[in-house]
Amino acid sequence: MKKLLLGSLLSSMVLLAACGNGETGAGDDTDNGNEEIPEEAADATVIRFLNGFTGGDGAFMKEIVDNFNDSQDEYFVNESQEPEHYTQFRTGDYELVVMHGVNLETYSMDGLIQPIDGILEDVGMSINDFHPAAEDLVGLTDGNYGIPLDIHPLTTFYNKNLTEEAPETYEDLVTLSEELQSENENLYAMGIPDSGLIEFYTLTLAAQNNVDLLSDDERYLNFAQEDLVDALWILHDMIYEDNISPEGLGLDGEFHAFMQDSEGDSGGNQTAVSLTGPWYYQAVSDAYGDDLGIGTIPQLGEQVAVYGNSHVISLAASVEDEDMLEGISAFIEFMYQPENLSNWAASGQAPLHTETMNYIEENAEDFPLPYQNQQMFDDYVAAPAVYQFGEQMRYMNETVIGRIVREENLTREELMEELETATGIAEEIADTAPEQ
Amino acid sequence: MKISKTVSTLMFLPFLLFFVLFWIIPFVYGIYVSFHNWTVSGGNNGFVGLDNYIRILTPGSMYHDSFMNALGNTLYFVGISLVPLVVFALLLALLIENIPGKLKVVFRTIFFISYAVSVTAVSAIFKWLFTGNGGYINNVLQTFGLDSIRWLNTQPYAWIAILAATVWWTIGYNMILFVNALDEVDESLYEAAALDGANAWQRFWNVTFPSIKGVFVFVVIITVIASFNLYGQTLLITEGGPARSTMSLTMIIQNTIFSQNNLGMGSAMAVLMGIIMVFITGIQYMIGFRKDENG
Amino acid sequence: MKQSKAQKVILIIIATLIAAVFIFPLLWMFFTSFKGMAESISSARLLPRNWTANNFIELFTVDTANAPIIRWLLNTAFISFGGTALVVITNTLAAYSIARLNLPAKRLFMFIIVASMTIPGIVIVFPRYFNFRDIGLLDTFAPLILPYAASTLGVFLIYSFLRNFPRDLEEAAYIDGANQLQILRHVIFPSIKPVIATLSVITFILIYNDFLWPLLVTNSAEMRTVTVGLANLVQGANFVNPGKMMASTLIATVPALVIFIFANRYFVKGVNSTGLK
Repeated sequence: MKKLLLGSLLSSMVLLAACGNGETGAGDDTDNGNEEIPEEAADATVIRFLNGFTGGDGAFMKEIVDNFNDSQDEYFVNESQEPEHYTQFRTGDYELVVMHGVNLETYSMDGLIQPIDGILEDVGMSINDFHPAAEDLVGLTDGNYGIPLDIHPLTTFYNKNLTEEAPETYEDLVTLSEELQSENENLYAMGIPDSGLIEFYTLTLAAQNNVDLLSDDERYLNFAQEDLVDALWILHDMIYEDNISPEGLGLDGEFHAFMQDSEGDSGGNQTAVSLTGPWYYQAVSDAYGDDLGIGTIPQLGEQVAVYGNSHVISLAASVEDEDMLEGISAFIEFMYQPENLSNWAASGQAPLHTETMNYIEENAEDFPLPYQNQQMFDDYVAAPAVYQFGEQMRYMNETVIGRIVREENLTREELMEELETATGIAEEIADTAPEQ
Repeated sequence: MKISKTVSTLMFLPFLLFFVLFWIIPFVYGIYVSFHNWTVSGGNNGFVGLDNYIRILTPGSMYHDSFMNALGNTLYFVGISLVPLVVFALLLALLIENIPGKLKVVFRTIFFISYAVSVTAVSAIFKWLFTGNGGYINNVLQTFGLDSIRWLNTQPYAWIAILAATVWWTIGYNMILFVNALDEVDESLYEAAALDGANAWQRFWNVTFPSIKGVFVFVVIITVIASFNLYGQTLLITEGGPARSTMSLTMIIQNTIFSQNNLGMGSAMAVLMGIIMVFITGIQYMIGFRKDENG
Repeated sequence: MKQSKAQKVILIIIATLIAAVFIFPLLWMFFTSFKGMAESISSARLLPRNWTANNFIELFTVDTANAPIIRWLLNTAFISFGGTALVVITNTLAAYSIARLNLPAKRLFMFIIVASMTIPGIVIVFPRYFNFRDIGLLDTFAPLILPYAASTLGVFLIYSFLRNFPRDLEEAAYIDGANQLQILRHVIFPSIKPVIATLSVITFILIYNDFLWPLLVTNSAEMRTVTVGLANLVQGANFVNPGKMMASTLIATVPALVIFIFANRYFVKGVNSTGLK
């Protein structure tokens, strides 16, 4: 019996392996940004470059990579664009990966990425070649863990049919909403979603009210602060006090409300302004064309500040080979030429690289969205670097903000209780970090 | 007949191979992992005994809170879905049985066809139908001068939307099982009942139901199991909201393993969920079986 | 049961109303896929005000990289047919071996098989994912097809059927000099056809509709099944246009609907002859 089991195990392994190889080969034939390595690059050092750009921006990154591969024949960058590239990165072999800024702490603590300062030095760059906001973004205690690519901040779109210019203050929003309401009660100034971009709203409001979410021991997000209650209460006021936003919008409600047509046969609520992700640019410009305006973030709290997530290029912890490192340096050097990196800006993303920002400034007409968004970099506030940032935020996204948005009768005390729960969870998550 | 053991074993071998590889090994591995502090990226960080189970089952940890919340939600869904998925399915089957000839086939196909739609397509359709601001159903309500309802982010409406999607999707399967059972009921029993002057309800209760009871119990059991495995609809239509109230056990387990990087804890949750399901199925089986003896 | 004509008409009217409710979501999907973005995001009309095929055109031009629907359909077809064939073959051989042949420890095997049917899949699915990860086979067809062959339902169904089936024919064939495979093919197979038809339909639907497992084991867009690929679109920020969402849903659903309309009579007939009651 034992022999039988063992025998069957072994033979099945062979079967599996055979099946696996055959099928992977077949899978590679289809085009998904996964490039076949061309024959002339057979002797080249291959750099495996993984990212999650499966939306419209993927084609722009591919162009940069293709141009690099065409420009020389010593190295070949093999780019993979995968919808779940984080899982892919944890389980596969890659040299370079595009990460979100908030994940650097987690991946460095898990030992999956390494400092990238050596590469920067190799190509004669330093963190000073980027907008000052970059330092907070990629700098962890023992070095820089990524080369900043872009920041995608909370972006202000407005509908020129409903408002001539983007509101700049809370009062502007109140006035705008009153005007719109008197016209048609389905019209509002802007919409507050109850889930979706909660991280963006929470951190923007915290920054605007000068709240530091990092706990004293710098391990977890401390939401249980009276100042944060004040900051988040602005959302409640916007809905139930000042009628700036319709009540109880759902997931991604800020975007959907902006896209409604109150003139049509729908009874939906439409908004004149949307604070949403820049990745909706394609959709809103398709819908509004020349009537679409792009503004900067309005001041809702005590000062102007904006939060957004970012893309950075990180180096896998496993890369040691000199030749490989040289190849990566060559690729980075190529990518960070303004005429190349502006390809990335053409996708709507706003690069942090100073020279490229200057280039965009000079050609603002060609890059309307990055141009507007880079105006906000001076007011940009990065997320605190904590282990498993997304998980520490999860309760805010799933429960807390939703209650503020949906419950007119919510009290500040109840909100504080929820923030304490959120903090407790964040602390428990921080406790799961591997010991350093 | 004299049959060689070798031939017999060779025929059994392919199945055994797959069963060992894809059932026995994962089963043992899952239980093994649940006794360890095991992360997805770091691997095994040591044996912890029953620690994971204790933290899930004793109050005061986020694992306890999320598991118990999800267990409550899942049981709630099992409860509210049982009557529509079983009783309505039986009513549909009875309706079809009493429709003559070719029309019967047409209606049977229509009621069954949504089962061919995949869960993601079902969710996409119902998510947009029920969207709060500007969704089709709300727009129609407003056309009739009614207030719109925030279907997807307030309760009980979020459950209603998920239930509607689930019933539309799967009721046909149960209905077909009932249709088959009804086809097999002995006609002469109805004739005897008719001679006794039984009315429709008496005919159903005294003739039909006893004949299809085995199938009825079977349908109840598979429906409870399917509802317990609630996943795609809540993931895609409500994303577990509002305020985690539609977060199901499978969603929590997946989140614990992949987002929180905690394979040991997630495995313990999966084993607990398995034990609960075996327990519930066992009870149903016993009740169904005992009634059989009495009847 | 005898019914009056009036009763029949009332029943047909009720059935028609219910049928309308069942058909409606499919109709909504169909018509919405022909609406432009603004109209599809919000409208109280079922029919498009302005018909447009743009959603479909875009799906097959600009979106082919991250939403290769045809590829997903082919994957799903390959996995569903391949997995079903594998299940039917292995389960038939195994059930035949247990029910009729001289398999050592057959009672133990049958006990394990029945016992395993009571354990819910959730206990298996995550560890199995990590088994596949550890041997480096994620994102290939191997995990998408092979694990279904561990299904025990078919063994149980065919075994139950054979146990109550007379052996006379087989013995006659044996005396005529047929070997086990010949007997299986020419004697057993014709008689268990209905069971196999049912098993095939159940397995096919199970694999086609499986969501969690293919979601776990595929990463790249080109390895997705239809079910998982669409899920990425429902959740993703890329498809903000419900019209386009419904266009992709429509394309993904129509082949299954067509297969289903033709195959459901086998399901209806087959379930009767099995132990599913």
